[in-house]
Amino acid sequence: MSLLWLRVAVFLYGIAALAVLPVALYDRPRWRHIAIPATVAAVFFHFVSLAEMLNAAHHRLPVDTHETQAFLGLILALAFLLVYSRYKTVSLGIFVLPICFLLVLIPAFHPGQEYAAFPLFHTGWIFLHIALLLAAYAALLVSLLASVLYLIQERRLKQKSPTISWLPPLETTDQIALRSLLLGLPCMTAGLLIGSLIAQVTIGASYFRDPKILLAFAMWLAYVAMIYIRRHAGLRGRRAVYLSSFVFVVVLAVWAANQFSAVHRFTAP
Amino acid sequence: MSQPTQTRPGSLVLLGINHNTAPIEVRERLAIPTERLADAARTLVHQPGIREGLILSTCNRVELITLQDNTGEASHPQSKTDLLRFLHEYFAVPAQDIQPHLYEFRESEAVRHLFRVASSLDSMVVGEPQILGQVKEAYTIAREAGAVSTHLEALLQRTFTVAKKIRTETQIGSSSVSIASVAVDLARKIFGSLQGKTVLLVGAGKMSELAARHLIQQGAASILVTNRTLARAEKLAAEFLHSSVTTAVIPFDDLYDQAARADIVITSTGAPQKIFGRSHGQHFLQRRRNRPMFFIDIAVPRDVDPRMNEVEGCFVYDIDDLQQVASANLADRSREAAAAETIVSREVDKYQERLQSRDAVPAIKALQQQAEAIREAELARSAKRLAALTPEQLEAVEALTRSLTAKLLHPQLTALRESTRNKDTDTD
Repeated sequence: MSLLWLRVAVFLYGIAALAVLPVALYDRPRWRHIAIPATVAAVFFHFVSLAEMLNAAHHRLPVDTHETQAFLGLILALAFLLVYSRYKTVSLGIFVLPICFLLVLIPAFHPGQEYAAFPLFHTGWIFLHIALLLAAYAALLVSLLASVLYLIQERRLKQKSPTISWLPPLETTDQIALRSLLLGLPCMTAGLLIGSLIAQVTIGASYFRDPKILLAFAMWLAYVAMIYIRRHAGLRGRRAVYLSSFVFVVVLAVWAANQFSAVHRFTAP
Repeated sequence: MSQPTQTRPGSLVLLGINHNTAPIEVRERLAIPTERLADAARTLVHQPGIREGLILSTCNRVELITLQDNTGEASHPQSKTDLLRFLHEYFAVPAQDIQPHLYEFRESEAVRHLFRVASSLDSMVVGEPQILGQVKEAYTIAREAGAVSTHLEALLQRTFTVAKKIRTETQIGSSSVSIASVAVDLARKIFGSLQGKTVLLVGAGKMSELAARHLIQQGAASILVTNRTLARAEKLAAEFLHSSVTTAVIPFDDLYDQAARADIVITSTGAPQKIFGRSHGQHFLQRRRNRPMFFIDIAVPRDVDPRMNEVEGCFVYDIDDLQQVASANLADRSREAAAAETIVSREVDKYQERLQSRDAVPAIKALQQQAEAIREAELARSAKRLAALTPEQLEAVEALTRSLTAKLLHPQLTALRESTRNKDTDTD
C-alpha cells in the first residue's frame, strides 16, 4: 500500500513541478493555486507512504539508496514549502520540485529490497540520524540553489538587461541561502553526534578510523567554515556559489563513500 | 397567448472629453474638483430624462455616464443636446467651445469605453494605476449623493471586477515606465523591501529629489543630502522634513567617509569630472561587508564611473540605462494592452448578455406563472377522479404535469430570450 501512496506522491510532485513553471517563468500567479496545493498533497502522501513503510518494517529500516533518496525528496519539498510560506516565492520550485520528482520516481517504481535489522532500541535513533543528516543536505542544496538564483539576478542587473520578474530580490535570495545553512548546521551536528553515539555503542572506537567517517567529520568542518565565511565576510554572488558548490561536492563525496566504506554502508550498519 | 410587455432599464449614454480629444485649455474649464462632484452629480440627475448619473473628472478626462429614459432611436441627438446643455449651464462654457471635442458612446460601446477607462487602457500612460481609484471615488460620491442606483451600480461593480481581472490576468501595470519608478523597481530588485534603507542624495537636482520621494514612499528610512554648496543641501533636506524619514546633511568633504552608510546613492551634480570611481566602489563595499549598493546616476555628464558596475555588489545605472528600461517596459505594456482589449471585448459581451437575460425575466416569470396557474386549475378540475390515487401516485401525477408544462414552455422561453437579445442587438 505504501508504494501506491508513493506513486500518488510522484504524480503530484510531477504536477507541481509543471505548474510552477508558468508561475515563475511566465508571471502567471494563478498557477500557484495548483503548484502549492499539489506540493502539499504530494508531501502528505509521501509522508503517509513513509509512515506505512516504517510501520510495516517494525525494527527493520529500509536502507536502500533509493529509499534514502526518496526521503531526501520529502525533506526538500518541505524546505520548498517552508521557503514559500516565509518569502512567498516559488522560484526555488523550478529546481527543487523536479529534483523531488526524480528522487521519488525510482523508489516508487523500483523499490529496494534491502533492509537493515537493528535492535528495537536503536531503530528510532538511526532514523533520527538519517533524517537529520538528510535535512542538512537538503538545507545545503537549497542554499546552493538560492546562491545560483542570486548570481543569475545579479548578472541581469549588472548587464542592465530586463530583470527576471520571477526571481526574488537579491537580498531575499541571500537570506534564503544563509538561513537555510544556519538551519542545516544544527541538523548536521545532531545527526553526526547521534550517529557517533550509536557507532560507539554498537561497534566501538574502530568505527571512527574508517575514511568515510573521517570524511563525514571533514564535511561538518567545511559546513561550519562556509557559514563562518559567509556571515563574517558577507560573501555573496559568484564567490558564495563557488563556496557552496565546494561544500556540496564534499557532501556528495561523503554520500558516495557509503558504497566503499567497510563500516557504514546502506546495506549494513 | 399574449406576450407580456418588456420594460428596458433605460438607455446608457456616455459623453465626455479626454486628453486625446481636447487640449488642456478645454479640459481645465470642465474639470470638477472632488468637493463639488456630489453637487454636480445631483444636478446632473435632475436634468429631464436622466434617471441615474455619474461624473468622472480627472486631469485627463471629464465624462458623464448617464442612464436615460428609453424613448427610442429618435432621442439620440436629443439626449446629447441635454447633456451638452448641462455642461454649458453647469460650467458656464459656451456649447460651441465644447462640442468639437466631445465623444459620445451608447449602450454596449459605452460599457466598453467605461471598462477601458477603468482598466487604464484609455489612459495617457497605459496601465497607470490611479484611474481605477478615481473611478471608484466618482462612483462612491455619486452613490452617496443619490445619483446612482441599481443599473449604474451593477455596471460600475462589473467595471471594477473587469479592471481587477485585467490587472491580475495581464501584466499591464506591472512594469514601471517613468525614470523615478524604474529606479525604485530596480532598488526593490536588489533590496526587496526598502524599509529601513538609507538614501544618499549627491547634488540637489529636481530629478534626484523626485526619485528620493519615490523611495521614501516605498519605506526608505533616512535621507542623507550632500552638495558642494551646503546651503542648497540644507534647503533640499528641509524639503523632506515633513516626511516620515530622518534627514541629515553631510558636508561635501565628508562624502567619501559617509557614502558607505547609504544603500542607495542618487547623484545629480553638475560636476565635469566623475565623483565616484571604481576604487570608491571597492572601498565602500569593503566597509559594508559586501552588502550591495545601488548607484543611480542621473547627472549629465555622469558622476559615477561606469566601471564601478564591475565591482561585485555595486550596481550602477545612469540616465540612459534607466530610460532604456522604461522604454522596454512601455513596449511590454503595449503588448499586454492587446491582451487586455480581448478581455474587455469578452466582458462587454458577457455584460450585455446578462443585461438582456435580465430584460426577459419579467416576461419569462409571467409566462411561467400563467402556465402554473393552468396546471393547478386542471389538476383541481380532476381532483375527484384522482381521489382514489395513493399519495405516491398523486406525487407521480404532479411530477408528470410539471414536466409536461416545462417541456411545452421550453421553446417559447428560448424564443423569448432570443428575441430580447436580437432586439437589443438591433437597437445597439
